[in-house]
Amino acid sequence: MIFREVEDRDLIAKARRGHVDAYNVLVSRWEKRVFNYLLRLVGHREDALDLSQDVFLKAYQNLKNLEDPAKFPGWLFRIAHNEAYSLLRKNRPEGELAVEPKTGGETSGRMFPMELTLAVQGALSRLSDDQREAVLLKVYQGFKFEEMAEILSCPVSTVKSRLYTALDLLKQTLAPVNMGGAE
Amino acid sequence: MNCSSEDLKAYFLGELSSRDKAPVEDHVHACQSCREELDRLKLTQTALLALEEEEVPQRIAFVSDKVFEPRWYQTIWRSGPAMGFASAVLLAAAILVHGYARPAGASSVTPTVDTAQIEQRIEREVGARLDTVVQKAVSDAQSKQAAEFAKVLDASEARFETRRKADLATIQQAAEYYEKQMNRWLVASNDTRAGQ
Repeated sequence: MIFREVEDRDLIAKARRGHVDAYNVLVSRWEKRVFNYLLRLVGHREDALDLSQDVFLKAYQNLKNLEDPAKFPGWLFRIAHNEAYSLLRKNRPEGELAVEPKTGGETSGRMFPMELTLAVQGALSRLSDDQREAVLLKVYQGFKFEEMAEILSCPVSTVKSRLYTALDLLKQTLAPVNMGGAE
Repeated sequence: MNCSSEDLKAYFLGELSSRDKAPVEDHVHACQSCREELDRLKLTQTALLALEEEEVPQRIAFVSDKVFEPRWYQTIWRSGPAMGFASAVLLAAAILVHGYARPAGASSVTPTVDTAQIEQRIEREVGARLDTVVQKAVSDAQSKQAAEFAKVLDASEARFETRRKADLATIQQAAEYYEKQMNRWLVASNDTRAGQ
């Protein structure tokens, strides 16, 4: 992980000097994570792909503004978060943002075991956007509370609140699956 | 320590420091309810992680698009440290070359090299030196000729003098002869007159 971080730092430094190839390597490393984060957040593959392209374009254009290259992951996901929420606000009437998220029906992926995948997708889709995003950043992307607070532009206490509530809801929703898996 | 859902979740999510972690672990060992809650959280996480990541449908290709590549001057302009270093190296090299190549006391203004002017100057110099050599050669030749002429003249004069002396001697001998003949004729005439 340490070496990977150093390598990313080198790539960022090169990309800042105009080496497009270095930035391409950076994109190839992060595009899958960013795409899946956006896919699970907006629930639509085409939108997720378009957003991913926008994210990496904006990241490239603003790379010179990244003060600490070690914070590239959080900085990149902050751009992704902003892009995703711009789309969510545009697609939904004001005030309905955190009410009922889209279903994750299109995130088909590999369907084994199918029941578990569908159950998890269903459970995630029942969370609010904020709660789901907190789970995505913590469980799937492994960010720390402080990094999440920077990405989401909110206090750490808010991050904790969203995440803990989401975990309680997921725990209840997935309880039958977990029971089945435990048997 | 009492049961704390927040502490348990923070512990489960790896957000506690090693100092804060120990009391929670001790409590979980002792508390059946918290142990079960921790198990449920682990099962939930396992279920969530069963959702595999999807591959990106297509390569995000815009980055390699030429449109986004910086122009050559942007590349140079943006590389501030590189530009600074290159400038410093160039400056150092220039100072070094200047120090070695420039003779002491020479003008600080670098002369411009004018080939035509140099050629003219060389031509003039060569011409001048050639004239000098030619004049000296001509002068030497004239001196030599004058010396030879004088030598020839002296020889001619010597030969003329010798001839003149020879001629004078011949004339003198002829005069002496004619005088002797005249004397003989006079003596003969006197003897004839005396005999009559």
